Amino acid sequence: MLSFILRRLLLAVPTLAGVLVVTFLLLFIAPGDPVMEMVGERADSTTVAQLRHQLHLDESRPRQFAAYAGGVLRGDLGTSFITGRPIARDVAQRFPKTLELAGAAMLLAAVLGISVGVITAARPNGWLDRLTLAVTYLGISFPVYWVGLILILVFAMMLHWLPPSGSGGIAFLILPACALGTRSIAFLARMTRSSMLDVLGSDYVRTARAKGLTRRAVLTRHALRNALIPVITVLGLDFGSYLTGSILTETVFSWPGLGRYVVNAISRRDLPAIQGSILFLSVVFVIVNLVTDLVYAGVDPRVELVAAAK
Amino acid sequence: MTLRHLRTLAPSLVIPFWFITVPLLGACRGGEPTPQRHTFIDSRDRYDPRSLDPALSTDVPTGRAVSYIFDGLTRFTVNANLAPALAERWDVSRDGKTYTFHLRPGVTFHDGRPLHAAQVVHSFERVLDPRTKGGRGWPLYPIAGARDFAARAAASIRGLRALDDSTVRITLDTALAIFPKLLAMPVASIVPDSVATAFGEHPVGTGPWRFVSWRHDDYLRLARNPAYWGGAPKLDSLEIRIVPEPSTSVAEFEAGNVDLLYVPEAETDQWEHTDDKKALLVSAPALRLWYVAINCTRGPLRDPRVRQALNYAVDVKTILDRLVGGRGSLAAGVIPPSLDGADTTRRPYGYNPARAKALLAAAGYPNGFAIQLWVGQDETFQRVSQSLQGYLAAVGIRVSLVQRDNSSAREAARHGDTDLILKDWYADYPDAEDFLNPLLVGANRGVGGNVSFYDNPAVDQLVSRARTTADSTQRATLYTRADSIAFGDAPLIYLFFYNELYAVQPWVAGFQAPQIFNGQRFLDVTLSGVAAPDSAARDSAGAHPSPRRP
Repeated sequence: MLSFILRRLLLAVPTLAGVLVVTFLLLFIAPGDPVMEMVGERADSTTVAQLRHQLHLDESRPRQFAAYAGGVLRGDLGTSFITGRPIARDVAQRFPKTLELAGAAMLLAAVLGISVGVITAARPNGWLDRLTLAVTYLGISFPVYWVGLILILVFAMMLHWLPPSGSGGIAFLILPACALGTRSIAFLARMTRSSMLDVLGSDYVRTARAKGLTRRAVLTRHALRNALIPVITVLGLDFGSYLTGSILTETVFSWPGLGRYVVNAISRRDLPAIQGSILFLSVVFVIVNLVTDLVYAGVDPRVELVAAAK
Repeated sequence: MTLRHLRTLAPSLVIPFWFITVPLLGACRGGEPTPQRHTFIDSRDRYDPRSLDPALSTDVPTGRAVSYIFDGLTRFTVNANLAPALAERWDVSRDGKTYTFHLRPGVTFHDGRPLHAAQVVHSFERVLDPRTKGGRGWPLYPIAGARDFAARAAASIRGLRALDDSTVRITLDTALAIFPKLLAMPVASIVPDSVATAFGEHPVGTGPWRFVSWRHDDYLRLARNPAYWGGAPKLDSLEIRIVPEPSTSVAEFEAGNVDLLYVPEAETDQWEHTDDKKALLVSAPALRLWYVAINCTRGPLRDPRVRQALNYAVDVKTILDRLVGGRGSLAAGVIPPSLDGADTTRRPYGYNPARAKALLAAAGYPNGFAIQLWVGQDETFQRVSQSLQGYLAAVGIRVSLVQRDNSSAREAARHGDTDLILKDWYADYPDAEDFLNPLLVGANRGVGGNVSFYDNPAVDQLVSRARTTADSTQRATLYTRADSIAFGDAPLIYLFFYNELYAVQPWVAGFQAPQIFNGQRFLDVTLSGVAAPDSAARDSAGAHPSPRRP
């Protein structure tokens, strides 16, 4: 297991190197100039030239890349052109908020989505199943920002139960987590349902029933565990994508997470901030995928952790 | 400065659903809770300030925040007049080149250090020092030797000297009547003589508000400076919330969680036609021009008749009323009507498509031509650009819209790659010079702000004469003439001067809408009928922790 983890982490190195190169190249192909963003609407060409020189933007690209990659290898993500603050600290300040939101959304999705899936699979084509099908269909289709605004409208403005936006205690977390989690809840519910139905029709379930186990025991002990394998994949992927920034949710709910940080960095062409945060997010994604694989192994005894097979 | 910055990419993605949701949000009212707090909460900023270091203030949220914490030698009032600040008074030499500023006695920084003249010298050196990487040295360039210092060709600024503890003498290269106004810009704020490396995170100034805490992309908290030389603010504390999505700020306002709101343009009608909402509105003409920069060096646009035709082809009044909620007054020049030099008798081009067609025919384009109109990601701008496309099509000009993010659009315009670009200009200081010089003077083509690439020596000369003219009446006359000449040459499609529209909670007293972005510092604002202690529901160390020191 340990060697599996180590190998996977080693394999992540070329992935991250690739991310580094691609981000760097993309930023130079894309139009826009960080210095223009720094100086604002009115400036003079001397200042612009001076800043370009100071920020080493007038050097050749391979040299700029070497300097940047060197910094990264030394563990230095650099300093923002726009704010003058170290990128690592900016990312470290925002990541806990992103983690909080992503975690809450995922928890909600896992608990609600899987429960609903199991319940509806227990009585397929019943009225509850049909209703859930319709609701989850909507849940998957509605864009997250629209769901967010509707949640604000209903729970903050009409009912005054929760604050419309901002961050703070648990009350501030509920609406954004619901908005962000809606799609996952709906998707997981459908996924769990169909996966459960597959499993429930299989031979070993029939055997379990035949040997006299209760319906409940069959559902939870035999069927659910096997049905969860594809569900975990989805959970892992969704969690990874939530952790790498939920820009729209963060924007609608004024949530101070990484997604807004990345978008602001991009819109101001803050090159070190873009590169640093993308690199960080890639690391997060790699780790989440690794953890997902480990969880697989825990759930499904047939899965062997052989790095070469991956 | 630009308000384009106020909108980041994400809110523009939200827009299509905004129209559906906003009326719903608007439908929900009643039961307005009274606030349980002593903190005034502002929701205007759409993105985090760049820094709280004055040397880095190149955008509106930064400049505003800096103006709460710091003072300059001079300042702007809420009505955009110049007033003394840390300089109690100043003398100008007869040749207009030497300014002697007399500092206000007894002023201290938030950490207790007294203000003295050497700090003024240090503050300005800091702004100009390339190592600061602020990028906004130009307001101080008129000082003799400032450019040399900025280029590291001199160890000190020749024209800047502290004569004694309370007197600063500034010598300029040439006379410049607007110089005291440049010193009221946030970038020229006075900072202590030794500042911590993370000064932008832990600022110490002399201003009415001292720094308490700042959670990036969330809020900035300030507390009153009880020792403020101008009289302490009446409020205990001030919170600037960063709310990126306009409809969320509306929701926060309707929930009573914020005290001040920028009314989104698309919602203007709804607010103005609902009685209880209308009562909350406060409006002020902003020193802000919306215009289309016509690149005078490209193709058919080189011909002034073509540029005039573009002006006649567009029904600006309808655009203003339908798309911008009528918030503005039509522009007949670049100088806002409230500033000296504005010619209020000059008439806008007016909507006259027949005249436009005739001018195009006279210029040799009876069948029109094809052209690009660039626009950034702001939603209202995009709608205006679509409307412009329609009006120009009606006179035979085939416009293709090029929508880009603000950064790319601005870069293209500065490089002269745009035929037309829809823009706005928001004044840094209240003077006609801040419109004429950047927008129309040849020396400022490109990065200086003149993205029309308009180059008319007659205009340049008038503006430069005005800069050195001490007499304000004469100066205004020169401004008027320059504006008038340029208006005839039509390097812009003159759209309108924008009016800011704020909503203010009924429990707020003493708020006046500022005419310049850093004119309102909340000194006289109070929250009435608020008795309960601060609930401090939102996290952090509560509303009044002790100030952090660098």
